[in-house]
Amino acid sequence: MRFEEELVALLPRLRRFARGLARHPADADDLCQAAIERALKSRDQWYEGTRLDSWMYRITRNLWIDERRAVGRRGVHDAIDDAATQVAGDGAAEVEAGALRGDVDGAMARLPDEQREVVMLVLVEGYAYREAADILDVPIGTVTSRLARGRETLMHYLGEAA
Amino acid sequence: MSVDRDIVAAFVDGELDDLTARRIEREAAGDPALAAEIARHRALKAQLTAHYAPIADEAIPERLRALLVGADNADGVDTSLADRRAAKRARFEPLHWGALAASLVLGLTIGLRPWLPAADVASDKGVLVASGSLADALDTRLASNQPADAAVRIGLSFRDGAGRYCRSFESATVDGIGCREGDRWQLERTQRGRAPTDYRQAGSGELAAMVATMMAGDPLDADAERVARDSGWRAR
Repeated sequence: MRFEEELVALLPRLRRFARGLARHPADADDLCQAAIERALKSRDQWYEGTRLDSWMYRITRNLWIDERRAVGRRGVHDAIDDAATQVAGDGAAEVEAGALRGDVDGAMARLPDEQREVVMLVLVEGYAYREAADILDVPIGTVTSRLARGRETLMHYLGEAA
Repeated sequence: MSVDRDIVAAFVDGELDDLTARRIEREAAGDPALAAEIARHRALKAQLTAHYAPIADEAIPERLRALLVGADNADGVDTSLADRRAAKRARFEPLHWGALAASLVLGLTIGLRPWLPAADVASDKGVLVASGSLADALDTRLASNQPADAAVRIGLSFRDGAGRYCRSFESATVDGIGCREGDRWQLERTQRGRAPTDYRQAGSGELAAMVATMMAGDPLDADAERVARDSGWRAR
């Protein structure tokens, strides 16, 4: 039962992470649901005392990647078209207004998947580079380079005062 | 600016040791460009955090909570979940097919997205495999001896050209052929299942044709099937 309780406590963060990956709220919750079901089924692969959050993030992220591979790149183009429309529609004053006026969803949609997941883990979920590297199963240098590229793109679209 | 951009990022992310972090702070005091760069990184982080924070404050949808709280439905056929699955499948878009089919040996004609809550099918490294009740049925159920109302009905058990054990199956949600690979059932062929009421008359011509092309020799008889099951479906 402890396992389920810990999972429930994790849900708010997990939903946030999923929303960053999947964008659309219903898709994000489907992803969460699948992750929970997977976790319940493979709970004996989780060792008590190790971090449940990292394990759940890893499951969620891997399910999402599977899904992305299955649908190919189709969804990304839709998202970019959305974003382009919105950016073009913004007046210069709004771009200048910067910070809170920016279309974060639109800018995030322009990131390749592998940059978006790193941005979510480090900048939003607050994981250390090392922890993000473990969740994603990549070297730490890969995390930092993807993060740097993702940041550049986001700053560009979110209209920083440069 | 006196400091490399990656270092600025690491500074803002709290990844630098205390000594280096303090050095950056000192330098920023006398280097407006560096100070601006730090501010820029902080602003981005703050913007992202502010954007996503409200999601974590939302009420947890009941369908997620229900999976974990009072989950005492071990044998429960959760109708709402089944309904959702059916609705999802109806939403299936043909464009998914190409990518999915390419990853499978014989092509795949199912619209399931791998992480949908269809407990019967899972994706493992891009390959569809049986899971949950489907895996259980393929593992244990004998075609010669199955309950009339079984959710998953085993059709034929046979060996394919590679010597693997394969079994055809039908269920309300998915029909197909699973072949034993290691300790799992790789789904070589799947199609949308039929509602229990039209099982029989709808027939399964396509599936039968597929079995016929895959099968090496004759289908297993009841005894051979039992022996194969008891040996864990290991190909010789």
